Amino acid sequence: MDKFRPDTFLPLTPVAFEILIALADGERHGYSILQEVESRSGGTIALHAGTLYRALARLLESDLIGELNESPDPSSADERRRYYRLTTRGIAVARAEATRLEGQVAAARARRLLKVARA
Amino acid sequence: MNAPRRSWIVEALFSLGLLAYPRAFRRRFGDEMRDDFRRIPLVPLGTPGAVRTLRTLFLNGIAERWVAVVRWSFFPNFTPHLYEPAGRHFMFWDTLRADIRHTLRLAIKTPVFTGLTVTALALGIGATSAIFAVVNGVLFRPLPYSDAQRLVNVWSNNTLERHPRNPISPANFLDYQQMNTTLDALEPYYTFVTPQQYRTDAGSELTYSVMVGNNLFNMLGRSAALGRALNANDAPGVLVLSDGYWRRRFGADPSIIGRTLDLSQFTAQVVGVMPPDFVFPYGNMFGPSGFTRVTSVDMWLPLAYSGPQAAAHRMLTSAGQVTRSIHWFGSIGRLKSGVTAATAEADLKTVAAQLEHTYPATNKGWSATVVPTIDQTVGSVRSALLLLLGGIAAVLLMAAVNVANLMLARSVAREKELATRAALGAGRGRLIQQCLTESLMFAFAGGGAGLIVMQLGIQGLLAMAPADLPRIDEVTVDLRVLSVTLVTAIVTGIVVGLLPAFSSATIDPRATLQDHSRGAAGGTNRRRARGILVVAEVALAVALTTGAGLLIRSFVSVMNVDPGFKPEHLLTWQMNIPTRLTSPDDRRAFYRDFFARMQALPGVEKVGGTTRLPLGSTSVSTVIEVDGRPTSDAAQSEVEFRRAMHDYFDAMGIPVLRGRGFTSDDGPMAPGVAIINQAMAKRFWPNADPLNQHIRMGATQPWLTVVGIIGDVRHTALEEVPRPELYVNYLQNPPVGPFIVIRTAGDPGALAETVRSEARALDKELPLYDIRTMQALRSETVAQRRFVMILVGVFGALALGLAAIGVYGVMTVIVGERTREVGVRLALGAEPKALLLMIVGQAAKLAALGVLIGVAVVIPAASLLSSQLYGVDALDPSTFVAVIAVLMATAGLAALMPACRAMRVDPVTALRYE
Repeated sequence: MDKFRPDTFLPLTPVAFEILIALADGERHGYSILQEVESRSGGTIALHAGTLYRALARLLESDLIGELNESPDPSSADERRRYYRLTTRGIAVARAEATRLEGQVAAARARRLLKVARA
Repeated sequence: MNAPRRSWIVEALFSLGLLAYPRAFRRRFGDEMRDDFRRIPLVPLGTPGAVRTLRTLFLNGIAERWVAVVRWSFFPNFTPHLYEPAGRHFMFWDTLRADIRHTLRLAIKTPVFTGLTVTALALGIGATSAIFAVVNGVLFRPLPYSDAQRLVNVWSNNTLERHPRNPISPANFLDYQQMNTTLDALEPYYTFVTPQQYRTDAGSELTYSVMVGNNLFNMLGRSAALGRALNANDAPGVLVLSDGYWRRRFGADPSIIGRTLDLSQFTAQVVGVMPPDFVFPYGNMFGPSGFTRVTSVDMWLPLAYSGPQAAAHRMLTSAGQVTRSIHWFGSIGRLKSGVTAATAEADLKTVAAQLEHTYPATNKGWSATVVPTIDQTVGSVRSALLLLLGGIAAVLLMAAVNVANLMLARSVAREKELATRAALGAGRGRLIQQCLTESLMFAFAGGGAGLIVMQLGIQGLLAMAPADLPRIDEVTVDLRVLSVTLVTAIVTGIVVGLLPAFSSATIDPRATLQDHSRGAAGGTNRRRARGILVVAEVALAVALTTGAGLLIRSFVSVMNVDPGFKPEHLLTWQMNIPTRLTSPDDRRAFYRDFFARMQALPGVEKVGGTTRLPLGSTSVSTVIEVDGRPTSDAAQSEVEFRRAMHDYFDAMGIPVLRGRGFTSDDGPMAPGVAIINQAMAKRFWPNADPLNQHIRMGATQPWLTVVGIIGDVRHTALEEVPRPELYVNYLQNPPVGPFIVIRTAGDPGALAETVRSEARALDKELPLYDIRTMQALRSETVAQRRFVMILVGVFGALALGLAAIGVYGVMTVIVGERTREVGVRLALGAEPKALLLMIVGQAAKLAALGVLIGVAVVIPAASLLSSQLYGVDALDPSTFVAVIAVLMATAGLAALMPACRAMRVDPVTALRYE
């Protein structure tokens, strides 16, 4: 296999990018991803189960995320829950996408399409 | 922690949505998706949010399927790891798919079994659906009027004569219309069809019209398909055509609107054509008076309370007021919203009581009756149709029981397979699911094929149904019929599968797999299951054959009723004499000529006529007064009124018991004479001689002398008790639209053409209609009874056959299982005859139990049948005894065959199984 090149995956679909962001701070199961995306976006993005799992399927197939076989938190062990985590490839792709978007946002800002963000 | 389940309907919808996804995807993510779905906040079903969620679910599934298809087409070797099957994600749909595939494979391997099963179910489900389609079209579908459940028919209730649905007199109708407080509207119509002669250049032809209130169409909520319906401003001189007549006579010519038709006595302008589905009135809305049996309507004419039409229709009294004493109006009204028919009846009874008080001379004893229009229209056939539906459902149940029996027998053969499955870890639920899947698949296949059976069945039923079955033209297959077919198929599938399912679920795998002989394990269970099937079948067969037996006996007693005349060799028809014959003298001259020419025809023995033909027309009554008796209201009694023409009594074969018949001497100048029937003689002169007594039909009418007494005649139906009848001679007031009867030497039907051409030769404006033999009329009056009898008879025969097949099948299996035992017994010297008795006895025991249960069920249900019976009691002991004997004999014979086969068993062969 050739050397892994994150930029071949760009641009990511918004849903895929959201999933990668949600997984950036740790393993989550499907429903938790849904909740995270919804709360982070303030309810503006409402993921449907079908949309989420199709995106998960694509990400799994491309090895951008992986699947944990046991729950990270044994006390809330739920046999049916499967937890997903970012793979190194996933981190690289997420980073590349973020950079790409950052470039676009910077360009938008330079053309006064967006106010300058306060630090 | 698992999320709680949602309601089953939500779960089912979600499962359906999941079906859109490829199987591998479902296996991999289905459980998670379901779990997430259960956690998201509940959105009420039917809101846009819920719809959007389900739609997104479904569309994503389709998209994923598309991805899979593309991937499979372009990268056939690419199998992402998540698509690899994993055992624990085996889902309901996958199980179902496996079961379906398994069933299909088995079905193809055993074509005879499959064919028999599917055919039996198709016949059962199809026949049930066909009968339901008829019941649905006649009873359940709303009448073709808007908001039809609020329509009621209002009648006068003649309490003295116990005629609760008597037509209303016009003046009473107007008062009902004004004084009631519970109806939005009440509209009148004539309770009979009036023949009109439509004159064209080519000659005149007969059409049938009904006079209706101007506002009727409005009140029914129907407007014309072309032009307009009648409205409040219309006066006589306009008409509305029926769709059928417009197509038949005018070739659906749209320019008909505005054309003036010459109806010989008057002309009228066509203002509209009604839509094809519009029917008014239905046959059962007509009253007991009338001129013709025809109930199809070609045109509607507005009725009037004043003017020349009103005068011609005897609407006005000699004082020029609307009449209150002649009753011929029907009326149909619309209940105010929230008002029930019972409330309206109480209201109209109050109105009637006020009228009774105000007009005692005419209204004494007259109250009111309110009947929901749907009951008025189809109430008379409701119990018969529901009876048929119940009957066919019982037949279907029996077919299902037989199929269950077949499946049970097969599950014995598949015992090893099922035991292996159980040994490999299939749970009871899993085995039951598989059995039910199988039986449901058979039921669906049967239901699909049943649709064809249903179509054929409906055609057959329509061809066979009596012409006077109301609304029979409105029978079609609609969504409700199809849903009932589907539900029937599902229920049948479950009924068929339940018993085999539970009997195979109790298989003990160890015992079955170890034991090499047949039917050792689970045998008791299954034997009991089979016993239940036989008992159930025999019980149902008892019910059906008893019903069939009772109906056949009723039919025979009705056909054996002496109608009071000799129906053989009689030809009848109705005619309208030319309208130019306005004076009684002209008409008398016409009839003299007419009867002479008819009498002279070869093959004609006697000729006569009447104004009301028994079994062939409706009836009309009159109030009479007996000379020398006080004319108190109670004594004023109604009798049926007819005019006898020429040799009427002789031609019909009605015997003159005492006194004499009419002669040509009883002419217009001779003293008035009357002939009465036996029922009238008994009623008015129970202890005196009626001959030479004097009676009259109202204070202004001349006195008539009773000169003869004739035998009673069954007028409206063979089952009916003859009513008092009064005949006068036609010469004393010749009618214009009489029924003619001729007694022939040979086949009366063969004379129809001769008669017609003779009439044409006599006068080209003399249309004869309704030419029929009296035998055909008699047969028509029992058509409904015959229809029900034939169908229930067929059900009964089917039930017997199915019971026989059921007993035969069960005994074959039981005997098969006992072959070894029989062999041992024979080897030990048992008498074959005793063994035979033992086996047949076992079947007889089961059948006897079935008979007991059947009789126990039938006895309370018999009263449902009694409305269909005549001359036989619903609990007629001889019918019951016969049914029990036939069923026991059938069961015995059905058991005899396998028993005889067992007797021929060679003991050595039987024992070799050890």
